[in-house]
Amino acid sequence: MEKPEKLIVDGKRLDGRAPDELRPLKIEAGVLKRADGSAYVELGANKVLAAVYGPREMHPRHEQQPDIAVLRCRYAMAPFSVEERKRPGPDRRSVEISKVTREAIEPVLFLELYPRSVIDVFIEVLQADAGTRTAGINAAAVALADAGVPMRDLVSAVAVGKVDGTIVLDLTKEEDQWGTTDMPVAIVPRKKMITLLQMDGHFTGAEFKQALDLAFNACERIYEAQRQALRERYAIKQGG
Amino acid sequence: MIHVQNRELVVPGQLIAEGDYRLRDGTFREGKQVYSAVVGLAELRGGEIRVIPLQGRYIPSRGDVVIGVVVDSHYSGWILDLNSPYTGNLFVSDLVHRKVDLLREDINKYLSIGDVVVAKVKDVDERMRVQLEIDQPWMGRVEKGKLVEISPVKIPRVLGRKGSMLKTLQDVGRCRVRVGQNGRIIVLGRDHRMVNAVVEALLMIEREAHTSGLTDRVRLMLEKIVSGGGD
Repeated sequence: MEKPEKLIVDGKRLDGRAPDELRPLKIEAGVLKRADGSAYVELGANKVLAAVYGPREMHPRHEQQPDIAVLRCRYAMAPFSVEERKRPGPDRRSVEISKVTREAIEPVLFLELYPRSVIDVFIEVLQADAGTRTAGINAAAVALADAGVPMRDLVSAVAVGKVDGTIVLDLTKEEDQWGTTDMPVAIVPRKKMITLLQMDGHFTGAEFKQALDLAFNACERIYEAQRQALRERYAIKQGG
Repeated sequence: MIHVQNRELVVPGQLIAEGDYRLRDGTFREGKQVYSAVVGLAELRGGEIRVIPLQGRYIPSRGDVVIGVVVDSHYSGWILDLNSPYTGNLFVSDLVHRKVDLLREDINKYLSIGDVVVAKVKDVDERMRVQLEIDQPWMGRVEKGKLVEISPVKIPRVLGRKGSMLKTLQDVGRCRVRVGQNGRIIVLGRDHRMVNAVVEALLMIEREAHTSGLTDRVRLMLEKIVSGGGD
């Protein structure tokens, strides 16, 4: 695709959204039978699957922590998730995202309840359209709750950025590519605690504040969708 | 001040109550506020709050009766898989209740790898090392029966209120049913048909754990099979 002349026309973005509008969001919990917990998230064209195993016995044993459980995260993109085939396997980018995802989720878990064990989180990106790390975090939080892992709260995440001089929410691939700034944010909604904040590009102080406010508001909406997904998953069970 | 109804479905981080309550499993406190830590049903009884989990692994706790599978043996005992993140350790002396001269006696005659054992959790330390013991005549190696594995969080439903469901299973199903807190159940009976029926009933309990009137439906299903009906 060629770079369009303008990414925002008459206050509308390429896909017709307002600057502070999220892409359509769909969250489903408990989609995988063999995992202890799982979730599927669609955010616009993003399709992300998360699976949780554990707490279970930690192998290799020397990585066990005697007093707490270890959280292991793996973010991976399917070879067919992007336009040009992605070579499968961990690369510099996915290793980094795995690490920041783990650090975004770790603060809400009661790891001290399960000494010597491990909780594995696998995030598989099936289709990517910018903002997969935040979609992955949203999916992982729901999957962890679905697995029955005790948590202080869920974690909600969204990206904000600057495109054509306008602060926008939830960038698409085109906006990410030709925009000036991309900033993924993950928060613990109840305590308004930021657990992930990365930035690629530039913001002025005022722009940063505006972008962060936008992200916080969007996270509230995502948080509600996550809770709703969990309620729906278990309401069906109650009906028998 | 309570923010949810009794037996309402709650999700992690959801505010349940504010004030001085005694907290049980599945909840945590931040200041005066009490929150749920898991997806489950909030249960408020007297000054106590707990969340009945709908999902999760078995975590050993002292006094639980569990059903383990021997996965390894060592110098003075065995390691048992407990369907849990943690394995259990059973010493010979906690199995045979006497001093055992390990130099003279080969302990492999008591248990071998693959054996199924009913045991009690004697102790769990802060590192979650689990010690098991056999302290009742009905515990120990399981000679025969069918082993069923269900989700450990559904075990209270298999027992029922004051053991009512278990009593139905045993009386109507004409089987002996041994329930381990770790989600494993042994069904023992003379009649194959009834054993299979009880196994079916257990799987039904797991599927429909959060519906009411389940004990009656289980009774009906078993009675139908006893009287020659069913499949």
